[in-house]
Amino acid sequence: MKKLLTGLLVAALTAVAIPAAAHHSFAIYDMTQNIEFDGVVETLKMRNPHMAMTLTVTNPDGTKKTINFVEGAPANMIVRMGLNPADVAPGKPIKAFGAPRKDDPNAYFLKAIVLPDGRRYVSVGN
Amino acid sequence: MLKSVSTTALAAVLIGLCGCDSAAPEAAVAAAPQHPDFSGIWFPAGRQQDPRNPEFTPGAAAAAAEYEKAFTLDDDPGRYCQWPGMPRAVWGAPFTVEIQQRPQDFTLYWEGYGMYRKIFMADSAPPVPVLPSAMGYSVAHWEGDTLVVETSNLKQYPYMNRQATSDAAHVVERIRLEEREVDGQKTKFIVNELVLTDPKVYTGPIKITGTLRHRPDLQPLEYTCTDALWDEYLNERGLTLPDLDALPNPQG
Repeated sequence: MKKLLTGLLVAALTAVAIPAAAHHSFAIYDMTQNIEFDGVVETLKMRNPHMAMTLTVTNPDGTKKTINFVEGAPANMIVRMGLNPADVAPGKPIKAFGAPRKDDPNAYFLKAIVLPDGRRYVSVGN
Repeated sequence: MLKSVSTTALAAVLIGLCGCDSAAPEAAVAAAPQHPDFSGIWFPAGRQQDPRNPEFTPGAAAAAAEYEKAFTLDDDPGRYCQWPGMPRAVWGAPFTVEIQQRPQDFTLYWEGYGMYRKIFMADSAPPVPVLPSAMGYSVAHWEGDTLVVETSNLKQYPYMNRQATSDAAHVVERIRLEEREVDGQKTKFIVNELVLTDPKVYTGPIKITGTLRHRPDLQPLEYTCTDALWDEYLNERGLTLPDLDALPNPQG
């Protein structure tokens, strides 16, 4: 167990990038974009074949908007990178990087998560 | 393996008790074959293919042309939890593979998609195939330290940009253990050299090598693939499930 935990920690600290959705292409997303959002997790679905998340972001004028990450890494893959689901539970502040869908700019692929302490979990080149 | 050894030992004791020729137990033990043990937790570690772009038969080429007019890479059967099946599982998704080996058969469990496969040993009265399936019907024999597996009875996988196969597909795998040095440590690998033939779809054989690395440090995880599909259904129906997790817990 100690070896496993050490392995996961190393994976987290080195921000291992694994192709998160190897079973299909990213053609529906504009993966050239890497949009950064600071916000608070609103909903989280740790599931396969892709996790999903919504993030509440506060605009400069104080209003709030919801960013919809409709797909991300498979849950199994991102926890193997070392992400503790409790760190991205609803109410937790995080930084997230997304690529918008080409046909729906309000839906994003979740490319990476950065926790307040700097730990990064990268599912697609970021 | 333990069961096999125990059975052999029990047989030796019983033969000894019967007062038979005293040379017989030793002969029986000496004849027991020692095969590599593939049991354990493994993780995909690479794939090679020759030819890289296999040539379609005229019929398959026409099907591929029609397919490309209508389908994109994002019309993805995996997104809807369709098993890739054989032989695609061999080089499959980056999730664990658990193998349990017995003298009479092998059981393989792929974390990705929850795929499951049986390989029956030819000398252990394998059952007859019943239905075509994604993983097919696999029978094996040993050639020295190499496990040779033949698979047929595959149902078609008609996704023309994803190593499509028909019901005529036949896969011969030659599977062996290798020990390699990784980060200064001896590490076991399973090397699977397979040949796919499918005269309905490809003009010639396709040689593929898939490698698995021994990863006893990894824990296989549950991979329920259909949650998102169920959510979509609920949304379409306008249904909301009760959130039992949000209920108060009187036990604190």
